[in-house]
Amino acid sequence: MTRILLANIDKPEQASIVKYRERGGYKALEKALAMDQAAVIEEVKASGLRGRGGAGFPTGMKWSFVPRNTGKPTYLLCNADESEPGTFKDRILMERDPHMMIEGMAIASYALNCHLAYIYIRGEYEFVANMVQKALDEAYEAKMLGPSVMGKDFALDIFVHLGQGAYICGEETSLIESLEGDRGYPRIKPPFPATHGFLASPTVVNNVETLCALPWIIQNGAAAYAAIGTEKSKGTKLFSVSGHVSKPGVYEVDLGYPLVDFINNEAGGVPNGRKLKAVIPGGSSVPVMTAAECPGVLLDYESLLKAGSMLGSGGMIVLDETTSMPETLSVIADFYAHESCGQCTPCREGTGWAAKILKNIVAGKGKRSDVDLLLKIADMMEGKTICPLADADVMPIRSFVTKFRSEFEALCGDN
Amino acid sequence: MPKFTLNGQEVEAKPGQTIIQAAADHGMEIPHYCYHPDLPIDGNCRMCLVEVEKMPKLTPACTTLVNDGMVVRSENERVKEAVRGVLEFLLINHPVDCPVCDQAGECRLQDYYMVYGLHTSEIPLGMKVRKRKVIDLGPMVVLDQERCVLCSRCIRFFEYVTETGEMQFFGRGDHVAIGTFEDRPLDNPYSGNVVDICPVGALTSRDFRFKCRVWFLHATDSVCGGCSTGCTVRIDHRDGTIFRLLPRRNVEVNRSWLCDEGRLSFHKLSDGERITRPLVKGRDGVQAPVTWEEAARSIDSRLKEIRDTNGAASILGFASPSATNEALFLFKRYLDGLGATQFDFRLDSEDKKLADEEDQILRHFDKHPNSMGAIKLGLMSEQVGGIEGAINAARAGRLKAGVVIYFKPLVERPGDAEAEGRVLALLDELEYSVLLTSHKADWQDSASVVLPVAAWSEEEGTYTNFEGRVQLAGKAIEVEGNALPVWEVFAMLLHASGAESPWMSAEDVFATMADSVSVFSGITLDQTRLPGVVVG
Ligand SMILES: Cc1cc2nc3c(=O)[nH]c(=O)nc-3n(C[C@H](O)[C@H](O)[C@H](O)COP(=O)(O)O)c2cc1C
Ligand code: SF4
Ligand code: SF4
Ligand code: SF4
Ligand code: FES
Repeated sequence: MTRILLANIDKPEQASIVKYRERGGYKALEKALAMDQAAVIEEVKASGLRGRGGAGFPTGMKWSFVPRNTGKPTYLLCNADESEPGTFKDRILMERDPHMMIEGMAIASYALNCHLAYIYIRGEYEFVANMVQKALDEAYEAKMLGPSVMGKDFALDIFVHLGQGAYICGEETSLIESLEGDRGYPRIKPPFPATHGFLASPTVVNNVETLCALPWIIQNGAAAYAAIGTEKSKGTKLFSVSGHVSKPGVYEVDLGYPLVDFINNEAGGVPNGRKLKAVIPGGSSVPVMTAAECPGVLLDYESLLKAGSMLGSGGMIVLDETTSMPETLSVIADFYAHESCGQCTPCREGTGWAAKILKNIVAGKGKRSDVDLLLKIADMMEGKTICPLADADVMPIRSFVTKFRSEFEALCGDN
Repeated sequence: MPKFTLNGQEVEAKPGQTIIQAAADHGMEIPHYCYHPDLPIDGNCRMCLVEVEKMPKLTPACTTLVNDGMVVRSENERVKEAVRGVLEFLLINHPVDCPVCDQAGECRLQDYYMVYGLHTSEIPLGMKVRKRKVIDLGPMVVLDQERCVLCSRCIRFFEYVTETGEMQFFGRGDHVAIGTFEDRPLDNPYSGNVVDICPVGALTSRDFRFKCRVWFLHATDSVCGGCSTGCTVRIDHRDGTIFRLLPRRNVEVNRSWLCDEGRLSFHKLSDGERITRPLVKGRDGVQAPVTWEEAARSIDSRLKEIRDTNGAASILGFASPSATNEALFLFKRYLDGLGATQFDFRLDSEDKKLADEEDQILRHFDKHPNSMGAIKLGLMSEQVGGIEGAINAARAGRLKAGVVIYFKPLVERPGDAEAEGRVLALLDELEYSVLLTSHKADWQDSASVVLPVAAWSEEEGTYTNFEGRVQLAGKAIEVEGNALPVWEVFAMLLHASGAESPWMSAEDVFATMADSVSVFSGITLDQTRLPGVVVG
């Protein structure tokens, strides 16, 4: 399997610019700076790289939506808000190999003709932010950033911004609002950030992992990247796996790798001789899969979608046979109720209501009719809100309740 | 012009219009909470979801621009189900304290529930999110957080209209609550507007709450008498008492807003006693009640006597910039008939100094609703030079008699007492004075004749605002005692003087005015209704 993102993750002092450069770092930036800006975008397009923040939107295409010569600056925002339960892949990249992200940002900025970029890091990652800041300081020192990047006629400043503890600020328009100093409320789209983003200017928001793939793509060429993975899911992807596996952690796999093999070979399988019960493959917001649904499914965008779930952010949660599905769903529902920004009615009221019903059920105080009520609430929320957070609650609710209905009903007894 | 299909009917939209706006233009209301025509769009309540062909999801009508050829459905089962769902969501944490809520009867939750909801509540009371109630937010507003549907209209009003930003949401999820920072009072001069725009009973009027259930009120269309902006209002009244003023939306004047002073200005009318009968000073120097006929005859003959002795230039017509165009028109016509040449209406030369009370939103420094009407009707002359000039002329003996109309301003200002003092000084200096006014005051003893007249809201008539916009104000309240509208007093005087006096209503007077005064020529009473008509 190809290692692109984690190639140097375990090497000593990889976080320092000296070691990073010794191991070939910032060569890709140098190469990009010698190319046409448009050619860099074309290269990224050709690589087939898709956004790793959850939505999987083709990165090169996103960049090509950014209008040129608007008279306004263009901004690049690195989304390091990583808050989806089960997701902890960006953290390791920033902690262990921060210059890869900085180099990726510099390449993206050059391609987009952006001179000011921000890294929006979740508030709970303050220690990570400090490490990233240290790397930025080194990069400035080494003239990888600043008024003349690598001695070229290209200026770039990158700032770190620490969030204040809201999951919703990972949603790109909410992130922009937060960065502007307002409440982290997702915006109505259109207009899209590409034209009206940060400070009403053209803006690109990209996930840490997306940006980290750029140096390799530029260095090795789009064709090399596109050769990895499947027809529509190119390259490699990080999966942060947690739950009932022997070796939880962050793994890099070629897209298209079989799910069952991943759990058994990479993550060490379900421990203690227990049986697999279910998998949430892409972070808490994607539909849960039963063990029976897993065989044959590949870890790529299309295969997971076909199996009724999603790749999401790659935050995989593995659940063994001892797991109470109502309890698990209750924890997830609590999270979304707590994190709903409260802006739009169906999400604000629906996430809270569903969480309360689930708490009741788990406490043995539920009614049988509550099970259907949960599904009704899911219908009432789905597709009716400003941002996808409500749907992120709907997907686990609907999949847990329909696939494990008897467990919910058992808790309700004869009520 | 984009054409689109709305519930099977092909309709036109203006370029750049959203579905909700275009639908409204065609008389179709799409249910909504957060959308307000005079606020920036927010799209948060999701009540306005409609189905648009080729869009997989329902889309908010308030945020979606009309495209040519769009096919929109707002009344099918899918849409109704979605709206019903949103409504159910809004009610799960609602306290359902409608019986003690002042909004009852004009609450959008109640209204839409009757159309879309009618579901049974599935959430037990103990599971509801509790928030704070009866929070005092200053002189105009009382807040109940539990009734709030979190539409952010109030926030947007303070953010974009007054640009003062007092209100905000606190917390998140279903614990979001509306409020001001540390419950600070809303003390900007437009705060009352948020009570109107709040679609539910979360923000209620400190002044109006619990005074009257709204379904007992009668509404009369009018124009605010508080200043020269002439905001378009509705007077809500019952049994001869005004309970509140509400804005009528007029995009040309006040959009959907009123200033707080104007909103509360009607209280001035019940301040102090009314004069109920015409009073004429006898030989003993004491004012005694007479009939209108007696008063009219005596005024007309006395004014003619003075004219014949001292010349027509010794008669002053001092108008009020708070009287209607119709009143001022007949006032002028009567005095013109006597040959009078000296007219003015300017009471407070101080006005300009009070310009700090003017702002870019609505409030005009001139606290009279019809100064422009007075000017257009030729009631301002450099020769007289305002009330100061008139006092001096009277003192010097050049002016002997005066017909004075005076109304206390409905919006108070420092300097009002001084202005009133100048009216007294004028009456004192004149040999013979006729005062038309509505409320009793000590200083009126100086007048030779006091005539009780209808105050603002008690007669129909038009006002001309600072930009020359003529707007019709209806009659909401019956006058007290034998008082008459000003126009009627002069119609009577014209009759007494032997002139033609065919008017039976303010409308008749308006028609004559439109016929004979060039600035008003050609306008019809219909044009003076929303949004009013600007004259040259
Ligand atoms: C509720 C919500 C939370 C999100 N959180 C994150 C996040 O923590 N990190 C992230 O990169 N993207 C997050 N996203 C996705 C972003 O909106 C956006 O699609 C992404 O940052 C784009 O970058 P990419 O194209 O590189 O993936 C979130 C989306 C939603 C709806
Ligand atoms: S869906 Fe939820 S999180 Fe997203 S804008 Fe609406 S209330 Fe906020
Ligand atoms: S108080 Fe009224 S206007 Fe303000 S957000 Fe709540 S419901 Fe809307
Ligand atoms: S601005 Fe003037 S006209 Fe408008 S409400 Fe206030 S006082 Fe009345
Ligand atoms: S009126 Fe459209 S979302 Fe509120």
